[in-house]
Amino acid sequence: MDTPQNNGKPGYIEHKEARLASLYEEFYGKIANYAYAKIGDRFEAQDIAGEVFLRALRSLESYKEHGIPMQVWLFKIARNLIVDYYRKAARGRTVPIDNIELADNSNPADEIEKRDDFARVSRVMEQLTDGQREVLELRFLSELTSKEVSIIMGKSDGAVREMQRVAIEKLRHLLGVES
Amino acid sequence: MATEFDKILDKCIDRINGGEDIESCLADYSEHADELRLFLNAMTQTKSTYSFTPSNSAKAEARQRFNNALRERQQRREARQPFSTRFLGWSRVWATAAAVILIAIVGYFGLRPVLFPSDNTPLPSPKGNFVFLISDDANAIGDFTSLTLTISGIGLLPEGSENWIEFEPEVDTADLTLLQGEVSQQIWRGDISAGEYIKVFIYISDVTGELKDEAEAGPVEIKLPSGKLHLSVPFQVSADTVTWFTYDLTVVATGSSQNGPKYILRPVVGESGAVTEQD
Repeated sequence: MDTPQNNGKPGYIEHKEARLASLYEEFYGKIANYAYAKIGDRFEAQDIAGEVFLRALRSLESYKEHGIPMQVWLFKIARNLIVDYYRKAARGRTVPIDNIELADNSNPADEIEKRDDFARVSRVMEQLTDGQREVLELRFLSELTSKEVSIIMGKSDGAVREMQRVAIEKLRHLLGVES
Repeated sequence: MATEFDKILDKCIDRINGGEDIESCLADYSEHADELRLFLNAMTQTKSTYSFTPSNSAKAEARQRFNNALRERQQRREARQPFSTRFLGWSRVWATAAAVILIAIVGYFGLRPVLFPSDNTPLPSPKGNFVFLISDDANAIGDFTSLTLTISGIGLLPEGSENWIEFEPEVDTADLTLLQGEVSQQIWRGDISAGEYIKVFIYISDVTGELKDEAEAGPVEIKLPSGKLHLSVPFQVSADTVTWFTYDLTVVATGSSQNGPKYILRPVVGESGAVTEQD
Protein backbone atom coordinates (compact mmCIF):
# COMPACT_ATOMS: atom_id res chain seq x y z
CA MET A 1 0.00 0.00 0.00
CA ASP A 2 1.30 3.47 -0.84
CA THR A 3 1.38 5.19 2.54
CA PRO A 4 3.66 7.73 4.18
CA GLN A 5 5.07 4.94 6.32
CA ASN A 6 6.55 2.86 3.50
CA ASN A 7 9.86 4.65 3.46
CA GLY A 8 11.64 4.36 0.12
CA LYS A 9 8.65 3.08 -1.77
CA PRO A 10 6.55 4.90 -4.39
CA GLY A 11 4.62 7.80 -2.91
CA TYR A 12 6.91 8.37 0.06
CA ILE A 13 9.05 11.09 -1.55
CA GLU A 14 5.93 12.85 -2.87
CA HIS A 15 4.54 12.75 0.64
CA LYS A 16 7.70 14.40 2.00
CA GLU A 17 7.60 17.05 -0.74
CA ALA A 18 4.01 17.89 0.11
CA ARG A 19 4.86 18.05 3.81
CA LEU A 20 7.79 20.42 3.13
CA ALA A 21 5.62 22.66 0.94
CA SER A 22 2.96 22.80 3.66
CA LEU A 23 5.51 24.12 6.18
CA TYR A 24 6.48 27.06 4.00
CA GLU A 25 3.84 29.59 5.10
CA GLU A 26 4.37 29.07 8.81
CA PHE A 27 8.11 28.60 8.95
CA TYR A 28 9.57 30.97 6.35
CA GLY A 29 9.08 33.94 8.70
CA LYS A 30 10.22 32.05 11.80
CA ILE A 31 13.43 30.95 10.12
CA ALA A 32 14.00 34.49 8.81
CA ASN A 33 13.62 35.80 12.37
CA TYR A 34 16.06 33.22 13.71
CA ALA A 35 18.61 34.22 11.06
CA TYR A 36 17.97 37.91 11.70
CA ALA A 37 18.80 37.54 15.39
CA LYS A 38 22.07 35.87 14.44
CA ILE A 39 23.24 38.17 11.65
CA GLY A 40 21.28 41.41 12.10
CA ASP A 41 20.55 41.88 8.41
CA ARG A 42 16.97 41.53 7.23
CA PHE A 43 17.79 40.97 3.58
CA GLU A 44 20.37 38.27 4.28
CA ALA A 45 17.96 36.69 6.79
CA GLN A 46 15.22 36.51 4.15
CA ASP A 47 17.67 34.99 1.66
CA ILE A 48 18.71 32.37 4.20
CA ALA A 49 15.07 31.49 4.95
CA GLY A 50 14.40 30.94 1.24
CA GLU A 51 17.62 28.94 0.83
CA VAL A 52 16.68 26.66 3.75
CA PHE A 53 13.65 25.37 1.84
CA LEU A 54 15.65 24.86 -1.36
CA ARG A 55 18.38 22.96 0.54
CA ALA A 56 15.72 20.89 2.28
CA LEU A 57 14.17 20.02 -1.06
CA ARG A 58 17.56 18.95 -2.46
CA SER A 59 18.25 16.79 0.62
CA LEU A 60 14.77 15.38 0.99
CA GLU A 61 15.86 11.84 0.16
CA SER A 62 18.11 11.81 3.23
CA TYR A 63 15.39 13.06 5.59
CA LYS A 64 13.90 10.26 7.69
CA GLU A 65 10.40 11.11 8.79
CA HIS A 66 10.60 9.14 12.01
CA GLY A 67 13.89 10.74 13.05
CA ILE A 68 13.11 14.35 13.90
CA PRO A 69 10.13 16.56 13.01
CA MET A 70 10.60 18.24 9.64
CA GLN A 71 10.37 21.77 11.07
CA VAL A 72 13.23 20.97 13.46
CA TRP A 73 15.24 19.65 10.53
CA LEU A 74 14.69 22.99 8.74
CA PHE A 75 16.22 24.87 11.67
CA LYS A 76 19.22 22.56 11.63
CA ILE A 77 19.70 23.47 7.97
CA ALA A 78 19.32 27.16 8.89
CA ARG A 79 22.02 26.83 11.54
CA ASN A 80 24.42 25.36 8.99
CA LEU A 81 23.67 28.13 6.50
CA ILE A 82 24.34 30.77 9.13
CA VAL A 83 27.69 29.14 9.93
CA ASP A 84 28.46 29.18 6.19
CA TYR A 85 27.42 32.83 6.02
CA TYR A 86 29.91 33.80 8.71
CA ARG A 87 32.60 31.58 7.27
CA LYS A 88 32.26 33.12 3.82
CA ALA A 89 32.06 36.62 5.15
CA ALA A 90 34.83 35.89 7.69
CA ARG A 91 32.83 37.77 10.26
CA GLY A 92 32.58 37.20 13.95
CA ARG A 93 29.45 36.16 15.76
CA THR A 94 28.77 39.70 17.02
CA VAL A 95 25.96 41.41 15.16
CA PRO A 96 27.40 44.47 13.43
CA ILE A 97 25.12 47.31 14.44
CA ASP A 98 25.63 49.21 11.18
CA ASN A 99 24.33 46.15 9.40
CA ILE A 100 21.00 46.21 11.15
CA GLU A 101 18.15 46.82 8.77
CA LEU A 102 14.90 48.07 10.16
CA ALA A 103 11.39 48.43 8.89
CA ASP A 104 10.79 50.56 5.83
CA ASN A 105 8.19 53.31 5.71
CA SER A 106 8.45 54.39 9.36
CA ASN A 107 9.69 57.80 10.39
CA PRO A 108 13.40 58.46 11.04
CA ALA A 109 12.91 59.08 14.79
CA ASP A 110 11.24 55.68 15.12
CA GLU A 111 14.02 54.10 13.11
CA ILE A 112 16.70 55.54 15.38
CA GLU A 113 14.77 54.41 18.46
CA LYS A 114 14.38 50.89 17.07
CA ARG A 115 18.01 50.76 16.03
CA ASP A 116 19.06 51.78 19.54
CA ASP A 117 16.73 49.19 21.09
CA PHE A 118 18.07 46.47 18.82
CA ALA A 119 21.67 47.45 19.62
CA ARG A 120 20.93 47.46 23.36
CA VAL A 121 19.25 44.04 23.30
CA SER A 122 22.05 42.70 21.06
CA ARG A 123 24.65 43.79 23.59
CA VAL A 124 22.66 42.13 26.36
CA MET A 125 22.25 38.91 24.37
CA GLU A 126 26.01 38.86 23.82
CA GLN A 127 26.45 38.50 27.56
CA LEU A 128 24.56 35.21 27.61
CA THR A 129 26.28 31.92 26.90
CA ASP A 130 25.97 30.54 23.37
CA GLY A 131 23.54 27.90 24.62
CA GLN A 132 21.34 30.38 26.49
CA ARG A 133 21.22 32.68 23.49
CA GLU A 134 20.32 29.79 21.20
CA VAL A 135 17.47 28.72 23.49
CA LEU A 136 16.00 32.22 23.55
CA GLU A 137 16.34 32.74 19.80
CA LEU A 138 14.64 29.44 19.05
CA ARG A 139 11.92 29.91 21.67
CA PHE A 140 11.12 33.62 21.26
CA LEU A 141 11.81 34.35 17.62
CA SER A 142 11.30 31.01 15.95
CA GLU A 143 8.50 30.08 18.36
CA LEU A 144 9.59 26.46 18.58
CA THR A 145 8.49 24.42 21.59
CA SER A 146 11.03 23.49 24.24
CA LYS A 147 10.73 19.88 23.03
CA GLU A 148 11.72 20.94 19.51
CA VAL A 149 14.56 23.09 20.87
CA SER A 150 15.78 20.13 22.91
CA ILE A 151 16.09 18.06 19.71
CA ILE A 152 18.04 20.77 17.91
CA MET A 153 20.39 21.29 20.84
CA GLY A 154 20.72 17.63 21.79
CA LYS A 155 19.56 18.23 25.36
CA SER A 156 16.66 17.04 27.49
CA ASP A 157 13.40 19.06 27.70
CA GLY A 158 14.11 19.76 31.36
CA ALA A 159 17.61 21.05 30.61
CA VAL A 160 16.21 23.39 27.95
CA ARG A 161 13.53 24.72 30.32
CA GLU A 162 16.15 25.34 32.99
CA MET A 163 18.49 27.11 30.53
CA GLN A 164 15.52 29.17 29.41
CA ARG A 165 14.68 30.29 32.96
CA VAL A 166 18.31 31.11 33.80
CA ALA A 167 18.74 32.98 30.50
CA ILE A 168 15.59 35.08 30.95
CA GLU A 169 16.54 35.85 34.53
CA LYS A 170 19.91 37.13 33.35
CA LEU A 171 18.26 38.97 30.48
CA ARG A 172 15.77 40.76 32.68
CA HIS A 173 18.49 41.92 35.07
CA LEU A 174 20.60 43.18 32.21
CA LEU A 175 17.63 44.89 30.54
CA GLY A 176 16.52 46.32 33.88
CA VAL A 177 13.02 44.86 33.66
CA GLU A 178 11.39 45.58 37.01
CA SER A 179 7.86 45.08 38.24
CA MET B 1 10.40 24.13 43.00
CA ALA B 2 12.50 25.57 40.19
CA THR B 3 11.31 22.69 37.99
CA GLU B 4 7.67 23.56 38.58
CA PHE B 5 8.31 27.23 37.83
CA ASP B 6 10.31 26.24 34.73
CA LYS B 7 7.30 24.31 33.44
CA ILE B 8 4.86 27.15 34.13
CA LEU B 9 7.18 29.66 32.48
CA ASP B 10 7.51 27.33 29.51
CA LYS B 11 3.73 27.00 29.15
CA CYS B 12 3.30 30.78 29.31
CA ILE B 13 5.97 31.29 26.62
CA ASP B 14 4.12 28.81 24.40
CA ARG B 15 0.86 30.68 24.99
CA ILE B 16 2.40 34.07 24.22
CA ASN B 17 3.99 32.63 21.08
CA GLY B 18 0.49 31.44 20.21
CA GLY B 19 -0.86 35.00 20.38
CA GLU B 20 -2.15 35.28 23.94
CA ASP B 21 -1.20 38.21 26.13
CA ILE B 22 0.78 38.11 29.40
CA GLU B 23 -2.23 38.89 31.57
CA SER B 24 -4.18 35.83 30.48
CA CYS B 25 -1.31 33.59 31.53
CA LEU B 26 -0.74 35.41 34.82
CA ALA B 27 -4.41 34.96 35.63
CA ASP B 28 -3.99 31.19 35.39
CA TYR B 29 -0.92 31.12 37.64
CA SER B 30 -1.70 33.82 40.17
CA GLU B 31 0.56 32.25 42.84
CA HIS B 32 3.57 32.93 40.59
CA ALA B 33 2.21 36.08 38.96
CA ASP B 34 4.75 38.58 40.32
CA GLU B 35 7.80 36.58 39.30
CA LEU B 36 6.26 35.42 36.03
CA ARG B 37 5.45 38.99 35.02
CA LEU B 38 9.14 39.97 35.21
CA PHE B 39 10.19 37.00 33.11
CA LEU B 40 7.46 37.45 30.53
CA ASN B 41 8.05 41.20 30.23
CA ALA B 42 11.70 40.51 29.51
CA MET B 43 10.63 37.94 26.94
CA THR B 44 8.18 40.20 25.11
CA GLN B 45 10.61 43.12 25.18
CA THR B 46 13.32 40.99 23.57
CA LYS B 47 10.91 39.43 21.12
CA SER B 48 9.45 42.72 19.93
CA THR B 49 12.89 44.29 19.53
CA TYR B 50 14.43 41.38 17.69
CA SER B 51 11.62 40.13 15.47
CA PHE B 52 10.59 41.48 12.11
CA THR B 53 8.07 40.58 9.45
CA PRO B 54 9.71 39.55 6.18
CA SER B 55 8.56 41.58 3.19
CA ASN B 56 5.76 40.07 1.15
CA SER B 57 7.79 40.43 -2.03
CA ALA B 58 10.83 38.58 -0.62
CA LYS B 59 8.60 35.83 0.67
CA ALA B 60 6.71 35.53 -2.61
CA GLU B 61 9.94 35.44 -4.65
CA ALA B 62 11.41 32.76 -2.40
CA ARG B 63 8.19 30.77 -2.62
CA GLN B 64 8.30 31.02 -6.41
CA ARG B 65 11.88 29.69 -6.46
CA PHE B 66 10.83 26.84 -4.18
CA ASN B 67 7.83 25.98 -6.35
CA ASN B 68 9.99 26.02 -9.50
CA ALA B 69 12.55 23.70 -7.88
CA LEU B 70 9.76 21.40 -6.75
CA ARG B 71 8.27 21.29 -10.24
CA GLU B 72 11.68 20.54 -11.80
CA ARG B 73 12.19 17.66 -9.36
CA GLN B 74 8.81 16.22 -10.24
CA GLN B 75 9.50 16.53 -13.97
CA ARG B 76 12.94 14.89 -13.63
CA ARG B 77 11.40 12.06 -11.63
CA GLU B 78 8.74 11.54 -14.23
CA ALA B 79 11.30 11.56 -17.06
CA ARG B 80 13.38 8.91 -15.27
CA GLN B 81 10.47 6.47 -15.10
CA PRO B 82 10.46 3.71 -17.75
CA PHE B 83 7.94 4.02 -20.57
CA SER B 84 5.82 1.19 -19.22
CA THR B 85 5.50 2.93 -15.84
CA ARG B 86 4.70 6.24 -17.47
CA PHE B 87 2.15 4.55 -19.71
CA LEU B 88 0.61 2.86 -16.71
CA GLY B 89 0.80 6.17 -14.88
CA TRP B 90 -1.14 7.87 -17.65
CA SER B 91 -3.64 5.03 -17.65
CA ARG B 92 -4.04 5.65 -13.94
CA VAL B 93 -4.47 9.37 -14.59
CA TRP B 94 -7.22 8.70 -17.11
CA ALA B 95 -8.85 6.17 -14.84
CA THR B 96 -8.67 8.66 -11.96
CA ALA B 97 -10.10 11.42 -14.13
CA ALA B 98 -12.97 9.19 -15.20
CA ALA B 99 -13.63 8.24 -11.60
CA VAL B 100 -13.58 11.88 -10.52
CA ILE B 101 -16.08 12.84 -13.21
CA LEU B 102 -18.31 9.94 -12.24
CA ILE B 103 -18.14 10.86 -8.56
CA ALA B 104 -18.89 14.50 -9.40
CA ILE B 105 -22.00 13.45 -11.33
CA VAL B 106 -23.18 11.15 -8.58
CA GLY B 107 -22.33 13.79 -5.96
CA TYR B 108 -24.51 16.26 -7.84
CA PHE B 109 -27.47 14.04 -7.08
CA GLY B 110 -26.95 14.30 -3.36
CA LEU B 111 -24.58 11.51 -2.40
CA ARG B 112 -21.61 13.74 -1.60
CA PRO B 113 -21.52 13.18 2.18
CA VAL B 114 -21.48 9.43 1.63
CA LEU B 115 -18.74 9.57 -0.98
CA PHE B 116 -16.46 11.96 0.90
CA PRO B 117 -16.69 10.92 4.53
CA SER B 118 -13.01 11.63 5.25
CA ASP B 119 -12.53 14.88 3.28
CA ASN B 120 -10.30 16.99 5.50
CA THR B 121 -11.39 20.40 4.20
CA PRO B 122 -14.72 21.28 5.75
CA LEU B 123 -17.32 22.76 3.48
CA PRO B 124 -19.71 25.59 4.24
CA SER B 125 -23.30 24.64 4.85
CA PRO B 126 -26.18 26.76 6.19
CA LYS B 127 -27.18 23.89 8.47
CA GLY B 128 -23.62 22.90 9.44
CA ASN B 129 -22.68 21.78 12.94
CA PHE B 130 -20.05 24.48 13.43
CA VAL B 131 -20.40 28.26 13.33
CA PHE B 132 -17.40 30.58 13.53
CA LEU B 133 -17.93 34.15 14.73
CA ILE B 134 -15.75 37.20 15.29
CA SER B 135 -16.28 39.67 18.11
CA ASP B 136 -14.44 42.55 19.76
CA ASP B 137 -13.48 43.22 23.36
CA ALA B 138 -13.26 46.81 24.62
CA ASN B 139 -9.82 48.52 25.08
CA ALA B 140 -8.81 51.03 22.42
CA ILE B 141 -11.58 50.32 19.93
CA GLY B 142 -13.20 53.63 20.96
CA ASP B 143 -10.34 55.46 19.21
CA PHE B 144 -11.51 54.24 15.82
CA THR B 145 -14.26 55.15 13.39
CA SER B 146 -13.56 51.86 11.61
CA LEU B 147 -11.17 48.96 12.02
CA THR B 148 -11.53 46.48 9.23
CA LEU B 149 -9.89 43.06 9.15
CA THR B 150 -9.47 40.89 6.09
CA ILE B 151 -9.49 37.27 7.18
CA SER B 152 -7.98 34.86 4.69
CA GLY B 153 -8.18 31.60 6.61
CA ILE B 154 -9.32 29.78 9.73
CA GLY B 155 -7.58 26.78 11.25
CA LEU B 156 -8.61 24.27 13.90
CA LEU B 157 -6.30 21.71 15.52
CA PRO B 158 -7.97 18.44 16.59
CA GLU B 159 -6.65 16.95 19.81
CA GLY B 160 -3.94 14.35 19.28
CA SER B 161 -3.32 15.49 15.71
CA GLU B 162 -0.63 17.58 14.06
CA ASN B 163 -2.76 18.29 11.02
CA TRP B 164 -4.69 21.53 11.09
CA ILE B 165 -8.11 21.62 9.52
CA GLU B 166 -8.14 24.80 7.48
CA PHE B 167 -10.86 26.59 5.58
CA GLU B 168 -11.61 30.00 4.10
CA PRO B 169 -14.26 32.23 5.63
CA GLU B 170 -17.46 32.78 3.71
CA VAL B 171 -17.38 36.43 4.81
CA ASP B 172 -13.79 37.63 4.80
CA THR B 173 -14.06 41.17 6.20
CA ALA B 174 -15.21 42.40 9.60
CA ASP B 175 -15.30 45.91 11.07
CA LEU B 176 -14.46 45.52 14.76
CA THR B 177 -16.02 48.88 15.67
CA LEU B 178 -19.39 47.29 14.86
CA LEU B 179 -18.73 44.21 16.97
CA GLN B 180 -18.34 45.58 20.46
CA GLY B 181 -19.80 44.02 23.58
CA GLU B 182 -22.10 41.10 22.93
CA VAL B 183 -22.23 41.72 19.19
CA SER B 184 -20.55 39.19 16.94
CA GLN B 185 -20.42 38.46 13.24
CA GLN B 186 -20.74 35.04 11.68
CA ILE B 187 -18.00 34.47 9.11
CA TRP B 188 -18.40 30.75 8.42
CA ARG B 189 -20.81 27.94 8.99
CA GLY B 190 -20.33 24.40 7.85
CA ASP B 191 -19.71 20.83 8.83
CA ILE B 192 -16.59 19.72 10.61
CA SER B 193 -15.73 16.35 12.13
CA ALA B 194 -17.03 15.69 15.61
CA GLY B 195 -14.37 15.61 18.32
CA GLU B 196 -12.22 17.66 20.64
CA TYR B 197 -10.31 20.66 19.26
CA ILE B 198 -7.53 22.36 21.17
CA LYS B 199 -6.33 25.34 19.14
CA VAL B 200 -7.81 27.86 16.77
CA PHE B 201 -6.12 30.38 14.52
CA ILE B 202 -7.22 33.00 12.07
CA TYR B 203 -5.03 34.30 9.27
CA ILE B 204 -5.36 38.04 8.91
CA SER B 205 -4.08 39.33 5.60
CA ASP B 206 -4.89 43.00 6.15
CA VAL B 207 -5.92 45.40 8.93
CA THR B 208 -7.04 48.94 8.19
CA GLY B 209 -7.96 51.40 10.91
CA GLU B 210 -9.32 54.95 10.74
CA LEU B 211 -8.93 57.06 13.88
CA LYS B 212 -11.63 59.33 15.28
CA ASP B 213 -9.18 61.95 16.56
CA GLU B 214 -9.03 64.71 13.96
CA ALA B 215 -5.37 65.43 14.72
CA GLU B 216 -4.53 61.81 13.99
CA ALA B 217 -7.24 61.26 11.40
CA GLY B 218 -6.43 58.89 8.57
CA PRO B 219 -5.10 55.35 8.36
CA VAL B 220 -3.04 54.21 11.33
CA GLU B 221 -0.56 51.39 11.76
CA ILE B 222 -1.99 48.34 13.52
CA LYS B 223 0.45 45.57 14.26
CA LEU B 224 -0.24 41.89 14.49
CA PRO B 225 1.87 39.62 16.70
CA SER B 226 2.17 37.54 13.51
CA GLY B 227 0.15 37.03 10.33
CA LYS B 228 -2.03 34.61 12.18
CA LEU B 229 -3.51 34.82 15.63
CA HIS B 230 -3.53 31.66 17.71
CA LEU B 231 -5.80 30.79 20.58
CA SER B 232 -5.46 27.74 22.81
CA VAL B 233 -9.10 27.23 23.75
CA PRO B 234 -10.26 23.60 23.87
CA PHE B 235 -13.78 22.93 22.68
CA GLN B 236 -15.94 20.02 21.66
CA VAL B 237 -17.86 19.56 18.43
CA SER B 238 -20.51 16.91 18.02
CA ALA B 239 -22.36 15.78 14.94
CA ASP B 240 -25.91 16.34 16.18
CA THR B 241 -25.61 19.75 17.84
CA VAL B 242 -24.37 23.13 16.62
CA THR B 243 -21.19 24.56 18.15
CA TRP B 244 -20.87 28.33 17.99
CA PHE B 245 -17.26 29.41 18.39
CA THR B 246 -16.64 33.11 19.00
CA TYR B 247 -13.13 34.38 18.37
CA ASP B 248 -12.74 37.57 20.36
CA LEU B 249 -10.18 40.17 19.29
CA THR B 250 -9.12 43.41 20.83
CA VAL B 251 -7.01 46.35 19.76
CA VAL B 252 -4.60 47.76 22.35
CA ALA B 253 -2.87 51.17 22.19
CA THR B 254 0.92 50.94 22.58
CA GLY B 255 2.35 54.14 21.10
CA SER B 256 3.82 57.00 23.11
CA SER B 257 2.62 60.59 22.91
CA GLN B 258 5.94 61.52 21.24
CA ASN B 259 5.79 58.95 18.47
CA GLY B 260 2.06 59.03 17.90
CA PRO B 261 -0.45 56.29 18.46
CA LYS B 262 0.30 52.68 17.60
CA TYR B 263 -1.97 49.74 18.05
CA ILE B 264 -1.65 46.00 18.33
CA LEU B 265 -4.38 43.53 17.48
CA ARG B 266 -4.58 40.56 19.86
CA PRO B 267 -6.85 37.62 20.56
CA VAL B 268 -8.62 37.62 23.91
CA VAL B 269 -8.56 34.16 25.35
CA GLY B 270 -10.86 34.96 28.27
CA GLU B 271 -13.67 36.16 25.99
CA SER B 272 -13.27 33.53 23.28
CA GLY B 273 -14.79 30.10 23.32
CA ALA B 274 -17.55 27.82 22.21
CA VAL B 275 -21.16 27.31 23.19
CA THR B 276 -23.17 24.36 22.05
CA GLU B 277 -26.85 24.24 21.48
CA GLN B 278 -29.46 22.36 19.53
CA ASP B 279 -30.08 24.04 16.18
